[in-house]
Amino acid sequence: MGWRLPLRSLWRNRRRTILSLLVIALGTAVSAFVFGFLENSRLQIQQSTVQEYGNLQIASPELWNSKTDGYGYLIAPAAAAQVGGLLAQEPGFRGSTSQLQFPGLLGTGRDTQVIRALGIEPGNPVLDFADHVVAGRGLAPTDTAAVFVGRTLADKLSLSVGSIVMATLTTVHGAYNASPFTVVGIYKYTNAQFEEQVVFIPLAFAQRLLDTDGVDRIVVSLDQIAETSTVAVHLTTGLAASGIALAPRTWDDLSPFYRQLASYFNALFAFLSFAISILVFFIILEVQTLAFLERTREVGTIRALGTTQREVFVLFFAESAWLAALGSASGVAVGALLIAAFNAAKIQWLPPGTIDYFTLGAKIEVGTVLVPFAISFVATLLSALYPAAQASRLRVVDALRVE
Amino acid sequence: MGSDSRFCHVRGRPFLEARDVTKTYQVGAETVYALRDVQFAALQGDFVVINGPSGSGKTTFLNLMSVIDRPTSGDVFIEGQSTSAKSEGQLALLRKTKIGLVFQSFNLIPVLSAAENVEYPLLLQKRPPAERRTRVAAMLSEVGLDALARRRPNELSGGQRQRVAIARALITGPMIVLADEPTANLDSKTGEAVMDLMRRLNEEHCVTFIVVTHDPAVSRYAQRRVRIHDGQLIEEDVGGLASPAS
Repeated sequence: MGWRLPLRSLWRNRRRTILSLLVIALGTAVSAFVFGFLENSRLQIQQSTVQEYGNLQIASPELWNSKTDGYGYLIAPAAAAQVGGLLAQEPGFRGSTSQLQFPGLLGTGRDTQVIRALGIEPGNPVLDFADHVVAGRGLAPTDTAAVFVGRTLADKLSLSVGSIVMATLTTVHGAYNASPFTVVGIYKYTNAQFEEQVVFIPLAFAQRLLDTDGVDRIVVSLDQIAETSTVAVHLTTGLAASGIALAPRTWDDLSPFYRQLASYFNALFAFLSFAISILVFFIILEVQTLAFLERTREVGTIRALGTTQREVFVLFFAESAWLAALGSASGVAVGALLIAAFNAAKIQWLPPGTIDYFTLGAKIEVGTVLVPFAISFVATLLSALYPAAQASRLRVVDALRVE
Repeated sequence: MGSDSRFCHVRGRPFLEARDVTKTYQVGAETVYALRDVQFAALQGDFVVINGPSGSGKTTFLNLMSVIDRPTSGDVFIEGQSTSAKSEGQLALLRKTKIGLVFQSFNLIPVLSAAENVEYPLLLQKRPPAERRTRVAAMLSEVGLDALARRRPNELSGGQRQRVAIARALITGPMIVLADEPTANLDSKTGEAVMDLMRRLNEEHCVTFIVVTHDPAVSRYAQRRVRIHDGQLIEEDVGGLASPAS
């Protein structure tokens, strides 16, 4: 009967159908909410990771593999210029900056802290942390012995803008060196450990302190995060073809934390989806089996009228398809309302390892609702297979005898 | 006008034939014969009433004739073709195109309206919507239900429901209609009306009717009367057919 009979058959037992729809809708809504929440969290962490590392970094394999003594991995200015040429050819390339990182000590006379100094190009928008300033300012191109420190470090060493600190380090030749720095600004970041350890200084001054004209990495910024892998592949080929012994690492390669978290989120969502699917599957299986039993005589009638076994199967399956579509679509709508309410509540949370409260949120977009919709839809359809097959295999005379 | 003239009766090859049909059921270790070596033939336009007490094998016979069941031995022929080797799908096709069925409990689909119930076999035949609408309207008009086309079965009386069932059985223009106790769930007046309708349709459409009943009143409509007893069919002499109205 086309779409009419299966659709109307759904409403024979309204209470049962509404219960079934509620189960599917609730499963879809919970799934959409959790997926939206996890996806939102993942994207925020992704954004912050890319902000910390750039889309990708180019450095010597020795640096990536930590198989080096001293500063043998540094990139000479000529090689850096060649890399710049290759990068300029990449579509989606936004900018790059050179960095020179080195460990050292930062002291005030009273306290000392182990730090990781990042020599950066002041004024270069790639990774300058200028929009994280909480006091003073970021580094300027005219700065020399200036340092931009994290909030946690500033608290620990009781630093403020204008404070003088002493940095001690080892040059590329193994000699000790030290220099006073003026704190020009304080930044904040989501990661307390980063705030405590990382200080920014002008690249030229860092090179002078280390007595080198090299840099240890080139940080690359792209228009889209999604382009990262493609550009990394192009660069690997381009660097090898140009005989430059450098290799790119993408932001997710550089951040094991992100990869672990993303994989944990995926596992969490897969487990939840599986649990919901199983729940939906067995409840709908039960409901459809009951519905089939109640209509055994009717199946006998339509078979007697000439409906084939396949058509009976399709009829019952179509009924479940309606149930699946209505339930899953309602679930998406409920999930969207739930997410809107959750986002409007602006719930604050302090993630471990951070010092700023974070506003919890969930994302709602085609991708985050399509997956829960598809999971509930498929689980419902699968649950209909057995009752539909049973109905289609009935012997007509036996079915007609059922009162 | 002789009494037989009320029936459309075309002599020729039997449309429906049972040859040596036996149907047994296994009850524990015992084999029960529902039908034993039954011979039967129906010609186009026949109006056959099959009588018999409860448990005599009437419904079994009807199930075999309507190819919704298979005989233990023997064969049922439709338009001269054996049905014993046919697949389930081929038998469904025969039921869909050649046979109309009327059930004791009407067996209408409760979620469909009267018109939709009548339309159902045409949908199975994948007829175009315009043709379906025209034929359903004409058939409902013929059984006097055009005003109740949109009503669901639970909004119809027993007699109205049986008329919908008859319309459903005839909508595809079958060669034969098999009716199982069509008046059993109706009061005598409504039962008579339903039988009058079937008789009229038999006359007008020249469709073979085989009516199984235990109601002696229905026998009055028979052009051929067959008694079923202990799984055997016995053709009875109708003689001067009494007018149902008399």
